[in-house]
Amino acid sequence: MLGFGSERLRLDMNRLLALLFHQGVLDEQFLQLQQLQDESSPNFVSEVVNIYFHESEKLLRNLRGLLMIEGKITVDYKKMGIHLNQLMGSSSSIGAKRVRNVCVAFRAASEQNNRIGCLRALELLEHEYCYLKNKLHELFQIEQQRNLAARVRYPLMHN
Amino acid sequence: MAVSEQFPVGLKVLVVDDDIPCLKILEQMLRKCMYSVTTCSQATVALNLLRERKGFFDIVLSDVHMPDMDGFKLLELVGLEMDLPVIMMSGDDRTSLVMRGIRHGACDYLIKPIRTEELKNIWQHVVRKRCTVSKDHENSGSLEDNDRHKHGGDDAEYASSVNEEADGILKTLKKRKDSKEEEDTEIENDDPTTAKKPRVVWSVELHQQFVSAVNQLGIDKAVPKRILELMNVPGLTRENVASHLQKFRLYLKRLSGVAQQQGGLPSSFCGPLEQNSKVGSLGRFDIQALAVSGQLAPQTLAALHAELLNRPTSNLVLPGIDQPALLQASVPVSKCITLDQNVAYGQPLMKCPSNISKHFSQTIASAENVHAGIGSWSSKNLVNVLNCSNVAGLGAQNGNMIMGIMQHQQQQQRHQQEQHHKQSVVPESVRTINVQPSCLVVPTHSSVNFQVGNGLASVNQNSSFSGSSVIDYSILSPQSNNSSLGTGKVLDVELKPGIMVSGLSGGGSVSPTSMSTDNGVCMPVQNTASTFVAVRPLPGTVANMSEFHGSYDSTLAKVIGDGPLRSGAFVGRGGTLPSRFAVDEPQLPMMSQGKIFGEDSGSKVKQEPSTNFVENAKVGVPMLPRLAPNDLMSVFSD
Repeated sequence: MLGFGSERLRLDMNRLLALLFHQGVLDEQFLQLQQLQDESSPNFVSEVVNIYFHESEKLLRNLRGLLMIEGKITVDYKKMGIHLNQLMGSSSSIGAKRVRNVCVAFRAASEQNNRIGCLRALELLEHEYCYLKNKLHELFQIEQQRNLAARVRYPLMHN
Repeated sequence: MAVSEQFPVGLKVLVVDDDIPCLKILEQMLRKCMYSVTTCSQATVALNLLRERKGFFDIVLSDVHMPDMDGFKLLELVGLEMDLPVIMMSGDDRTSLVMRGIRHGACDYLIKPIRTEELKNIWQHVVRKRCTVSKDHENSGSLEDNDRHKHGGDDAEYASSVNEEADGILKTLKKRKDSKEEEDTEIENDDPTTAKKPRVVWSVELHQQFVSAVNQLGIDKAVPKRILELMNVPGLTRENVASHLQKFRLYLKRLSGVAQQQGGLPSSFCGPLEQNSKVGSLGRFDIQALAVSGQLAPQTLAALHAELLNRPTSNLVLPGIDQPALLQASVPVSKCITLDQNVAYGQPLMKCPSNISKHFSQTIASAENVHAGIGSWSSKNLVNVLNCSNVAGLGAQNGNMIMGIMQHQQQQQRHQQEQHHKQSVVPESVRTINVQPSCLVVPTHSSVNFQVGNGLASVNQNSSFSGSSVIDYSILSPQSNNSSLGTGKVLDVELKPGIMVSGLSGGGSVSPTSMSTDNGVCMPVQNTASTFVAVRPLPGTVANMSEFHGSYDSTLAKVIGDGPLRSGAFVGRGGTLPSRFAVDEPQLPMMSQGKIFGEDSGSKVKQEPSTNFVENAKVGVPMLPRLAPNDLMSVFSD
């Protein structure tokens, strides 16, 4: 029974991944990440992605802060560009394709000192980011369940 | 280098990135590649780590955007201080940024996301770096790669001191520190080599002092401490001198290495080459030599360099025939280069990246200064060359003098060309004598006689060098293409040893009686004098002979060097090919210290049927760095 559960969970994972790929949320870099996961680092993907979330949220906050300051006439676009570059780098590194693409648009807007464009891009970015985060969490949950299921199973086999 | 069986395994990689997820991923990827990884999220920490554990890491991967220190800055420092290969990476794929990385000396630039596949190969940069540093020229197969790489890496170091000063780039560097804001724009204009800037600026003067000190001591006996004492420059440390000496030695070594491999070696600077034409490679060679010299000590005129510099001038003559216009320029050297490339062989031998050209120009400039006498390529001569196509020119150049040192370089070039099918063309006798001894100028005498009569051309050249005993003996028998009757003989160069003053006198008289003959004779003779404070005259002589005709002739060149040579001797060969393709393959073995520096160069010249001019291909073989005193060098070329 448990074996079936594990198998079903694996299928769920694959289905979800396929969806995310299809939507362009993720790209093959995410597969690279998965390939890096091995016995020496069994939770590599989720660890990295969690760090990514942590860092990205800081960056998003900073970006929002730069754009939203009341009464401030000039926006520090240079600083914004630095944050965006970093977000772009880390997003592409984990394969968050859509987030990265929005970052590119965001950066283009900031280079033109286009505040409106930046705000719009920021909103889109936050949206994409949340979507990614939710989906990846979902994925990791399934994976966790599957690992649990598998772990329960091994002792049985040994016995 | 010795590569162990499991070489890339355990390669020590330092990764610097402020982006933690990236850092994690890279770490894991590199681990998968079996490298030994150290990660660091701050550039400053990384720098300290590198400084503390010098020699521990093999390669550095660095992000470009980091809050505490710009990745380029780190790159610069690492390149300067530890000479490690640095790979830059960034999520920003804009070309301008990548360009900046390359210009700062990055050996590679990876755009995020980085895949494992890209990292698997990074060990190549380590190997390449080691190869270039160790100057492992034995393996000629890898040379090409090395050369290509050198541009960003190894060469940059060599070039750094020199180029910087030449361009006053140093100032910009300083400025850059002050105002980071300007960085972008300035960097765009910078020479890539500035990425690695030495702490001690080896200015022209400083380098000259260095060279003269080394010469005084003798290259083999020169130790940093003694050099430092001789130089007596406040602020200069033994370490500075030591590292400079090391580079200088490598440079010398490389020169000789290059000379040996000249034939097959395309220089890094020349882009597309024609593999087929030997001329191409030769041309390149010269250029490379130039570039090299430029890098090390373009401005300083050590005898060695002087030699290198001479080359181009010699080339000048040849190409000059094809494109006279170029010759008119006031700078002979530069012209030579351009001519060489574009014109002489009618094929673009090289395309120089802008950077390179920069080097050249520097060298050229220095050459100009130094050899004031070079001016001797008077427009007149050039004109003559152009018009008549019969030219006998002698250019003697004396190399630079360092601090009252006598150096002498003499170049003699003779050119004789006759147009093929012209009816009554009376060749003009052209004599160009360039004597440029910096310190001592002795009138030199070289008489060149060209006699062209119905295909008979004899050229006699006498050059006497004083001081050292240099004997050039060359015999040329050029023959007319069309008529088999033409014979050209060039005899000559006599040197009278024992005299302190060396002089070259060249006189050329050409009396062609009949036009039917086409002869192209080129004799470049170059002597390089050693730079010694004392008078050590010189040394290397080269006689070139070229014969044209469908058939080729032998060239006999003997070089006897007296006194220690620090400078190399050049063997220049001139081959002229008649309208058809002729291949000259002279071989000039030179023995210096048990080494053979001589090279064969074969030159192929393509001639277009339409052209009446005979093209000359000249091959110069640069030689050597150091000759033991009292060495005799004899070169025979056949």
